[in-house]
Amino acid sequence: MARGKDKKKRKLEKKEETEDAPKKVPHTLESLREKDETMLANVEEEEKEEAQKDMELDELSSYFENAYEPKVLITYSDNPHTKTRIFGKELTRIIPNSMSRYRQRSSVKRIVQSAIREQVTDVIIVNENQKQPNGFLLIHLPNGPTAHFRLSSCKITPELRKDYKEITNHRPEVILNNFSTRLGLTVGRMLGALFHYEPQFRGRRAVTFHNQRDYIFFRHHRYEFTPDGKRAKLRELGPRFTLKLISLQQGTFDSKRGDYEWIIAGRRHQMETSRRRFFL
Amino acid sequence: MILTEDKELDFFVGTRIGSFKHIKYHTDTSKNNKKCIENLVNIKTLQKDDTITCMEWGNAEQTEILLGKRTKEVQIYDTTYGFSKSYTADIGNGDIVGLGKHKRKVFAAVASGIVNIWRKKDSETIDVGGKLDRMRLWRDGTMFATGGEENDLKVWKVDEKTAVFVAKNLPHDWLQLRRPVWVTDLTFIDENLLAVCSRHGYVRLYDTRAQRRPVSNVDTQNLAATCISTGFDERQVLVGFGRGQLHQVDFRQNRLDKGYKGAAGAITSVAVSEKHGLIVSTCLDRHLRVHDRDSKSCVYKQYLTSKLSHVLVQTECTTSLKADVKEEGDPQETASQEPVAVESRVEDSDLDEVFENMEVVSEKRRKRPLEAIEVESVKPSTEGTTDPEDAIVKLLRSTEKEKRRREKKRREKKAKSVFHNA
Repeated sequence: MARGKDKKKRKLEKKEETEDAPKKVPHTLESLREKDETMLANVEEEEKEEAQKDMELDELSSYFENAYEPKVLITYSDNPHTKTRIFGKELTRIIPNSMSRYRQRSSVKRIVQSAIREQVTDVIIVNENQKQPNGFLLIHLPNGPTAHFRLSSCKITPELRKDYKEITNHRPEVILNNFSTRLGLTVGRMLGALFHYEPQFRGRRAVTFHNQRDYIFFRHHRYEFTPDGKRAKLRELGPRFTLKLISLQQGTFDSKRGDYEWIIAGRRHQMETSRRRFFL
Repeated sequence: MILTEDKELDFFVGTRIGSFKHIKYHTDTSKNNKKCIENLVNIKTLQKDDTITCMEWGNAEQTEILLGKRTKEVQIYDTTYGFSKSYTADIGNGDIVGLGKHKRKVFAAVASGIVNIWRKKDSETIDVGGKLDRMRLWRDGTMFATGGEENDLKVWKVDEKTAVFVAKNLPHDWLQLRRPVWVTDLTFIDENLLAVCSRHGYVRLYDTRAQRRPVSNVDTQNLAATCISTGFDERQVLVGFGRGQLHQVDFRQNRLDKGYKGAAGAITSVAVSEKHGLIVSTCLDRHLRVHDRDSKSCVYKQYLTSKLSHVLVQTECTTSLKADVKEEGDPQETASQEPVAVESRVEDSDLDEVFENMEVVSEKRRKRPLEAIEVESVKPSTEGTTDPEDAIVKLLRSTEKEKRRREKKRREKKAKSVFHNA
């Protein structure tokens, strides 16, 4: 078939499309996603109830009952370089009631022990490789779970030409986007549990964890409503980073002897059967 | 034709939130659907500490299940009548890690290292010295074995206060360092043979007659083993690991043998159906998986909503789903009017008719084939080598057996109803 004709045809089609009112939704990997049986949407009532109960009874449930105020410890791998340090410092400004400490060559298990003693509720450990932060370990205390993320494309505020001083002390709003499977829900809940359950709307700060194709994008904005109140203008405050889940473990950190709830290492070819299959 | 016939199996699954499920599994996998799963506990009533930490068969006929909960409650579930009795094991700290029942004796072990035995009237406690991760009862009810973190395998006789067998650790390694011990799960292979797995990455086989040190030791390369089950052969066991592997371990060759893939999280429990050559495993990723023994492929996978902690496979008899029973009407009511057996929708109708005509058989004849079948079912290793003809004969026999049992039940009920009417 002549290519020119094809093009004409396409043009015609396009014209028709613009005339007809309903717009076609483009197919993306996301919209054509393979159905996951663990997704909560459109399952039977009984199953939904059980999943609800499962969440009510898990380790994170006390946060969602507003039983405690989160207290977060942020630490690094040994001898962090400037970027990682600044990144950690900025995290302390984003997460209310958090502190940044150097690791002092302590092991993760000992950090966990002393954090429990100090009534810390979550520990974040930022790993660094070649002066770039590359790992993000999130441990919920006292009884887990532990999530290990790969951290990539991290941009700290100077790299975005922002100033960290713009980040106010108000407690931010947290937006968790697109966490749909059971695993995704747990991860989303863990990330949400880092922040105080009661945001200070006065600060107009919003923290977003947006999941797209299993990558969790973090963005931090200040918003302002337009005078007509219909839209919001956004101003990014930084930093930016992307997380990808490597493993989720039951209990606190024990990579050798612990029980994993989900782990991808060693079985990627079995699990990643298709480009349209996502886990979160 | 008969060989490919659909057979049914029953799985009982306990979960971390405390729900307890019954799954009817069809070997013809196209028949499996969500209707084959039912909850045996009301989910709405579950509390924070209802976690099922241990589950075990209560008798050899596999009609009774013992459930151990984090609240230290031991419940007895009968597969036909539902929950019957419950005990409270208020004997020590920690979860219930082992249960067992033999006749009137009920055994329960608690993680802090205490085993309790309830008898008819009194009860007895035994301190095993050290933490416990697992206790298992040998099937004749006279022996039990214990093990835990830094508390190596011990075998106890029921009426003795001291252990009959205490395992000895392997000699120091080449750096003259002590090898750490952590028994996470153990299983009796036969009366004197025990297999043990550990989070420190080994699977060991002990022979209580031979020596205190393990007869064979398989290193699992830093994989933390979480659960163990007897295999298809007396020198093989199945071991599940904390990173989601499931392997057959062969003690003859001293290595990991076959791998059964598919799990994304830690395996929490393995069970085997020797008759059908199936391996059933539960996983922390909330899936139940069934693997074929030889092809190693995953034949069935089901998402069960909550984290699974234990699975039991019913091989001795079958249980019908509650929903099916209800459809047929209340069993007690129908029994008095027309004796319809509860488990009546099991086999083909053609076969049913054939056996219907075979009703009148003298008592003496009946007993012999039944015994023969029982002996056969005990032998484990012959299963794999049977040729199709044998299988057909066996299948026919089993259906016959089933039929007879039903007939008997029917007759009994009839007799009862007559008695009541009179």
